[in-house]
Amino acid sequence: MADLLAPATETASASARARPGMARMIRNALLGRMVIVVPYLWLLVFFLVPFLIVFKISLSTTAIAMPPYTPTFGFEDGISGLIAKFGEMSLDNYVWLTEDALYFNAYVSSIVIAAVSTMITLIVGFPVAYGMARAPASLRPTLLMLVILPFWTSFLIRVYAWIGILKPEGLLNQFLLFVGIIDEPLIILNTHTAIFIGIVYSYLPFMVLPLYSSLEKMDYSLIEAAQDLGCPPITAFWKITFPLALPGVLAGCLLVFIPAVGEFVIPDLLGGSQTLMIGKTLWNEFFNNRDWPVSSAVAVILLLILVVPIMLFQQAQARAQEKGR
Amino acid sequence: MSGKGLLLATTVLATAVSFGASAQDRVVNVYNWSDYIDESIIEDFTKETGIKVVYDVFDSNEILETKLLAGGTGYDIVVPTGTFLARQIQAGVFQKLDKSKLPNISNMWDMIQERTEKYDPGNDYSINYMWGTTGIGYNVEKVKEALGIDRIDSWDVVFNPDNLAKLADCGVYMLDAPAEMIPAALNYLGENPDGKSAEEIAKAEELLLSIRPHIRKFHSSEYINALANGDICLAVGWSGDVFQARDRAAEADQGVTVDYSIPKGGAQMWFDQMAIPADAKHVEEAHEFLNYIMRPEVIAKASNYVFYANGNKASQEFLDEEVIGDPAVYPDEETMAKLFTTTPPNPREQRLMTRAWTKVVTGQ
Amino acid sequence: MKSLGSIRRSFAPWADPAAKPYILFENVTKKFGDFVAVDDLSLSLFEREFFALLGASGCGKSTLLRMLAGFEEPTSGRILLDGQDLRGIPPYRRPVNMMFQSYALFPHMTVEQNIAFGLKQDGMPKPEIAERVGAMLKLVKLEPFARRKPHQLSGGQRQRVALARSLAKRPKVLLLDEPLGALDKKLREETQFELMDLQQELGLTFIVVTHDQEEAMTMADRIAIMDRGTVKQVATPAEIYEAPNSRFVADFVGSVNLFEGQVSSAGNGAMTIASNGFAIRSANGSEAGTGSTVWFAIRPEKIRVASRKPVGAEANAIEGEVYDIAYLGDMTIYHIRLDDGRIVKASTMNSARVSEDVLTWNDRAWISFDRDAGVVLTA
Repeated sequence: MADLLAPATETASASARARPGMARMIRNALLGRMVIVVPYLWLLVFFLVPFLIVFKISLSTTAIAMPPYTPTFGFEDGISGLIAKFGEMSLDNYVWLTEDALYFNAYVSSIVIAAVSTMITLIVGFPVAYGMARAPASLRPTLLMLVILPFWTSFLIRVYAWIGILKPEGLLNQFLLFVGIIDEPLIILNTHTAIFIGIVYSYLPFMVLPLYSSLEKMDYSLIEAAQDLGCPPITAFWKITFPLALPGVLAGCLLVFIPAVGEFVIPDLLGGSQTLMIGKTLWNEFFNNRDWPVSSAVAVILLLILVVPIMLFQQAQARAQEKGR
Repeated sequence: MSGKGLLLATTVLATAVSFGASAQDRVVNVYNWSDYIDESIIEDFTKETGIKVVYDVFDSNEILETKLLAGGTGYDIVVPTGTFLARQIQAGVFQKLDKSKLPNISNMWDMIQERTEKYDPGNDYSINYMWGTTGIGYNVEKVKEALGIDRIDSWDVVFNPDNLAKLADCGVYMLDAPAEMIPAALNYLGENPDGKSAEEIAKAEELLLSIRPHIRKFHSSEYINALANGDICLAVGWSGDVFQARDRAAEADQGVTVDYSIPKGGAQMWFDQMAIPADAKHVEEAHEFLNYIMRPEVIAKASNYVFYANGNKASQEFLDEEVIGDPAVYPDEETMAKLFTTTPPNPREQRLMTRAWTKVVTGQ
Repeated sequence: MKSLGSIRRSFAPWADPAAKPYILFENVTKKFGDFVAVDDLSLSLFEREFFALLGASGCGKSTLLRMLAGFEEPTSGRILLDGQDLRGIPPYRRPVNMMFQSYALFPHMTVEQNIAFGLKQDGMPKPEIAERVGAMLKLVKLEPFARRKPHQLSGGQRQRVALARSLAKRPKVLLLDEPLGALDKKLREETQFELMDLQQELGLTFIVVTHDQEEAMTMADRIAIMDRGTVKQVATPAEIYEAPNSRFVADFVGSVNLFEGQVSSAGNGAMTIASNGFAIRSANGSEAGTGSTVWFAIRPEKIRVASRKPVGAEANAIEGEVYDIAYLGDMTIYHIRLDDGRIVKASTMNSARVSEDVLTWNDRAWISFDRDAGVVLTA
């Protein structure tokens, strides 16, 4: 309590002392506010405003015009005109999304593909992160570097490279044929399997890095303590390592899941045509149907679907922070 | 003109033409498809007129259209394909050409002009740059192996499920473009290729669904690589892209031979049209550029370089024999008569077509 | 026989040749690459013993403990526990438990869950677990904190949780790795006695690793002084202090003055050592023969300081000058520079508030010590 009172009295005496310096005080106060405001301003300009624009378009009607929807807001008709234009907006596009099962199926299919890919990424990424965290400290920067290294090449080129590996006459099939494991080429390219491979490969660093950071913090003596108390290594992993890595697991899963849901390039290049994903549906709406309002509605719904896990994640983080870890 | 007079004229011109740029650096901003011009043409144009060309490239109509609809592109000349151009004209994206500044328009080929009128009535907004067809690209050896034929000359190979099934294992790609594939299907069925009613679209959808199981992938650009590398044996695609695959395969010399066929039953034509955006800043220079492009020697040089047919009748005497003599580039008159065009769908029709196409592609 | 130090022990199985060692290290060597952490070490420990491994960091004491716990396997030699060779038995099957230096409390579990962890692992029925956990909490006086998470506890409380957890399974042997290292001095002293009481009460064998000689002296029945992977001396605290077997041990434990010299005469267990012109007479001789180099080791508190030469021919007496004085309240430490330049430390208990014979800097002074006050070392 005493701490809280101290600055108040100080400010009071300051204002009594320096009445002519009022302007400076106000300026200082504003400056103090600014520091708090900057992050909010950032969110406002780069997240909220674009979102509101997209949301507004989603309430509009498509038109053959520039831009291809109506109404567009401007002050040419005065305030009353502006108000009249608000009346033209409607939720029709959202109703439209419920009328064709295509959209629902695309959302579900995207979420399923993203969820399966995330699980695989976790299963592949955990041992990698664990190995890195347990590696000699001198080796760790190099290992981290290796994880990040693929980012130095264009994402697109790396996905293209997978076409060369996975196609029927590709490196993988040639190798498997040569070794004699298979008699005829496996069809992997243009299947769901190829999409999973593509997503797991592309997003693996986003899983490994948060996992690594939470595993690296973990005191290895905890594992020894668990073993000392009668835990075989596997049990110790599930009872100690995994629960303690949970914040990293959660962060990694979200970092993979969220972009994977809206992924367009990987299913487009590696997947088969039968793969229905919301990214492609959105692309169709925007480019084939030139229907900006419906595609905006698709995007808004997609955002809502993704905001839920983000909020869960933030809650979990807040909880973890509260625990002081 | 005395020295003083010249100075005065320049000053007046500079004030009149623009606020920012002076008359000495006249500029035209061109946005064209990638790999679509002999660059010496641009250099020659600048040498002759003193107009600097800022040349930028794109590789998809969709990207171009999104930029145009959003407005303020800063381009003075853009090159959309006919079907896209039509809607863009309706949306008010372009300005009418000042034909008094385009005397070379008399060189244009009436046969092409008639057809581009479908997209651009009166050819008020655009001039043709290049044109081509949507046909069949194929791997000669693999098709011979599977079907026992030396060359493909009919849509029967694609639209008869029994035939296509034989090619399924070695790989069939199809354009992921309803505006191309639905008319092709209707044409094969003997229907009006420009039909857009729900019934007509349903018929096309039915035919396309029957061959769908044999198609490995629907994609509008992947087939270039796939054909060139010998990964697939057949693709329904655009003539220019297939030529690209053919050339790449020949360069790689890995025993892959790619050929292109305009099937006897007829094929859809496409037209890449040059137009001036409504908000273009260098309208004068843009007209000069268009007029220059319509010179027979100039556009012939472009065709000789890119191996596409152009819409300029007068240029044909300047074309190389391997261009004018290639029936895949310049079809004979009989084939030419069977080539068809389509009119742009309205938004409702567009949605029907896209939805039917989504069903074909994904099965949903 | 006169006992060394002030404690007379009734528990001394190591003195009984018939007693069977409970834990036996036989020629144990452990190498990490080229580094030899434990070098051909043999050691016997007895049941219910409180044993301390004392040494500087890197001397191999922790490695020894970790080999017993099963986290490391010896490169050669063997370790027997109650007659059973431990080689190949994983840590989770060994009847020993360890209290880690970092405590290694599971941060995502409550105090209760931490203590119950090992019991659950053994498949003990729930009511029994609850009962045992309750008893353990009571033992370490942490009942009110059962539901807290480790980060909500103080350092001392965490230490108790770690202790309770490692004791919960009633291990045959409890290993303690620097158990008090993270506590402040006052708490450390209190806890030392608690640990001793606990060990008595439970009747367990405790092995504690420490670098703190005071801690080892206070708690242990016997201490092993380790250096570079070998054991220098194993003995009771009093023996270690009063009868170190080498200069290393004498110097490592407590403070010591070493007079280097040559044996001038020896006989009847006593000897005279010529050290820089002085003849030091010692009642406790050694095996060393006449003429060989030896060291006379004497603790500062066994040396008297006076301004005049002490009367009586029995004692050794050397003259010097007061070089430094440190007043510590309970005692005063003098640094006396002998005339040949050597510095001798001597401490005097301040048993009276006011002293008559006051010495100050640069005063002439005499040091003197009894013949049986020191030991003669040959190594």
